[in-house]
Amino acid sequence: MSAAREEALTPEAIADFLREVRGGVEDGLDPLAAARDALGSLPGRLRSAIELIVRRLEGDYHEDEWGFDESFAEAVFPVFEFLYDSYWRVQVEGVRHVPAHGRGLIVSNHAGSLFPFDATMLTLAIMKEHPLPRWPRFLVLDWAFVLPFLSAFMRRVGGVPASPHNATRLLGQDELVMVFPEGVKGTGKPFAERYRLQRFGRGGFVEIALRTGAPIVPVAVVGAEEIYPKIGDSPALARAVGAPFVPVTPTFPWLGPLGLIPLPSRWRIEFCEPIEVAGLGPGAADDRRIVLDLTEQVRETIQEKVLENLVERGSVFL
Amino acid sequence: MGRRVAITGVSSNWGAELARRLERDPEVEYIAGIDTGAPPPELVRTDFIEADIRSATLSRLLPATGVDTVVHCGILWYPEPGKPAKALHEINVIGTLQLLAACERTETLRAVVVRGSAAIYGCEGAVPYFYSEDLARERPLRTRFQRDISELEQYFDNFAARHPELRCCMLRYQPEVGPGLDSPLVRYLSLPAVPVQLGFDPRLQFLHADDATGAIAAAVANPVRGPVNVAPSGSISLSRALRLLGRPAVPVPTPLFGALMERLNDRLGAGGLIGDWVRLLRYGRGVDNRRLLEEVGFVPRFDAAGAIGDLAFETGGRRVGIPMHPGALAGRLARLGGLAR
Repeated sequence: MSAAREEALTPEAIADFLREVRGGVEDGLDPLAAARDALGSLPGRLRSAIELIVRRLEGDYHEDEWGFDESFAEAVFPVFEFLYDSYWRVQVEGVRHVPAHGRGLIVSNHAGSLFPFDATMLTLAIMKEHPLPRWPRFLVLDWAFVLPFLSAFMRRVGGVPASPHNATRLLGQDELVMVFPEGVKGTGKPFAERYRLQRFGRGGFVEIALRTGAPIVPVAVVGAEEIYPKIGDSPALARAVGAPFVPVTPTFPWLGPLGLIPLPSRWRIEFCEPIEVAGLGPGAADDRRIVLDLTEQVRETIQEKVLENLVERGSVFL
Repeated sequence: MGRRVAITGVSSNWGAELARRLERDPEVEYIAGIDTGAPPPELVRTDFIEADIRSATLSRLLPATGVDTVVHCGILWYPEPGKPAKALHEINVIGTLQLLAACERTETLRAVVVRGSAAIYGCEGAVPYFYSEDLARERPLRTRFQRDISELEQYFDNFAARHPELRCCMLRYQPEVGPGLDSPLVRYLSLPAVPVQLGFDPRLQFLHADDATGAIAAAVANPVRGPVNVAPSGSISLSRALRLLGRPAVPVPTPLFGALMERLNDRLGAGGLIGDWVRLLRYGRGVDNRRLLEEVGFVPRFDAAGAIGDLAFETGGRRVGIPMHPGALAGRLARLGGLAR
C-alpha cells in the first residue's frame, strides 16, 4: 500500500517540485540543472524519466564508435516488445546457441518486403530470451543508409551499412553480428515464392567468419514473409526514388500510410547449432571451395529449419 | 647533429603551431618557415623565408637551407588572409607540385611529411564506417576539393616511388576543432542556432587542435612511409555534439540546407568548399586510426566526444551572439534577475 502511495503523483508533489525548480533558478542555476536538483521531491519512476530526458538534452549519454546509442535502443524497445509479444506472438527455440560472449555471426533468411522486421525481432529474441542478453549489430542494405530518418534511427539501434570492412571490424571487437545474405533478393521476392531461400550472395559472410574465426549461427525465421505480402512491384516508382524495388501489397500503396501496417502473422524463430570455423584458420577464406561449400551448408540448414518451423507453426494468423 | 626542418605555410595556424612546438624541441637544430606572409612574431628560432610555393623560386631557396625534413602545411581547407578562395586549387595542387620539384633538388633531404586531408574518402551514406588507408578512391570523387586532394596525393605517390631513399608520409586529417581555432567548422558549431539536415545525423570524428599539432610533430619525429589517417578514436553524432555544446539544432530539409549554408558562408568563411561541408554534415565520415596509434606511435589525448567536450568547456564562458539554447537563456535571465535585486 505504502509503496503504491509513494509512486502516485500527487498535486502536492508537483507543487513541491516546481517550487524547488524556481528556487534553483533563483539561485542562478539553469533550469535543466535546477530541475535535476529538485527531482528528490518527485516519485521514483517519474524522477528517473525526467533524469533521463535531462541527461539526453545535455548530451550526457554514451554512443559507441559505430553510433550505437544504448539508451535510445532501450527507450524504443517497448514499442517493438509489443510487436514481439502481442502482435506477432514470436516463439523462439535454441536461443542458447547464440554465444553469450565473444564474437559470433548470426546468419538468417530475409523477408518482409516493405520493412524487413526480421532483424528487429531477432534482436528482441536475443535480448528477451537469452540468459545473458546483449545487443547484436546488424548489417543493413546500403540504400537504407542514404535515407533521412531511417539511417539515423537504424544506426542508433545497432545497424551498420553492409560492408565487409564493417563486419570484420565488428567481429574483431567481439560483437555479435547479424547478416542476411539473401539481401534484396530475399525481401523482394514475390509472395508466391515465400520461404524459398534465394542465393546467398557469393559467400562473403563465410569469408568474414573464416577470417575472424567467428562461429556461424544459422537462424530460420518464419512469419516475416506474411507481414507485407508482395503481390507485385512498381519498377517506375523504384527508379524514381532510387530504391532497389517498391513492393505492391494488398494494402500498399492503396491505403496510403495505413498500408504500412504489417499483417499480424504468427512467427517462429529457431537458432541452430553454431558452425565452428576457427579450426580452419583465416587462410581458408581464400579457398573458394571451402567458402562455397560452407555457404551451401548454411543455406541448406536454414532452408530445412524454415520448412520444419512452417509445419510446426500451423495456421498463419491464428 | 640535430634535425633541420622546413615548414611551408608557416604563417597559417597549422604551420605556426608546428613551428612553435619544434622550437621547444632540443632535437631540432634549425627551422625554416616558408610562406607568403610573415609568421607570428613569437617564433624566434624560425628562419622565415618569404616565398610563394606556387613559384619556381622555391627550387633555388629550399636546397640552400640544407634541411633533412620538409613538412608541407600549405594545403588549405578554407581561404585565409592573403589566400583567397579562388587561389585554393592552385595553392593546393600547383603549390604541392612545385614544392615536390624543389624537394628533388634538395640533396640533404631524408623525409617529406604532408598535411593532407581525409576528404579523399569523400562522404557517402553507406560505406565502411572506418576507412583504412588502402580504401581511398573507392568511391567516385564528387567535389572539387576531393579531386584536388586526390590529384596531389597522386603526385606525392609518384614522387615517393621515384625516391625510395626518402621517407614520404601523407597525413590524412579529419576536421579539427579547438577552443583557439577559427575555422568554418568551429564557426558553424558556434552559430547561435545551428542548422542541421532534417532526418540526418552524421557520425563525425572531431580532432582536437592540440592533437592535430601533436600528430604532425610525431610524424616529423617518426616519418612512416605512405598514407596515415589522423583522427581521434571513436566518433560522435552531430546531434550529441550540439547538445554537449549547448547549441540548439534547427532541422532544415536537405534541399534547402545547401542554399542556407551558401547564405551563411560569409559568416562561416568556407569559400568554395561549402559543398564539402554540406556533404560532411549529411553523411559524416569515419576513418581507422590504427596506423597513427601503432606505427607513428601517437595517441590523441582527446577522443571525438572529448574534443567537443573540451570545446564546450573552453568556450562556455564567452559565447558570441545571443544564447539561444532554452537552458542557457533561462539561466542567464535568472542571473540577471538576481543582479537586479
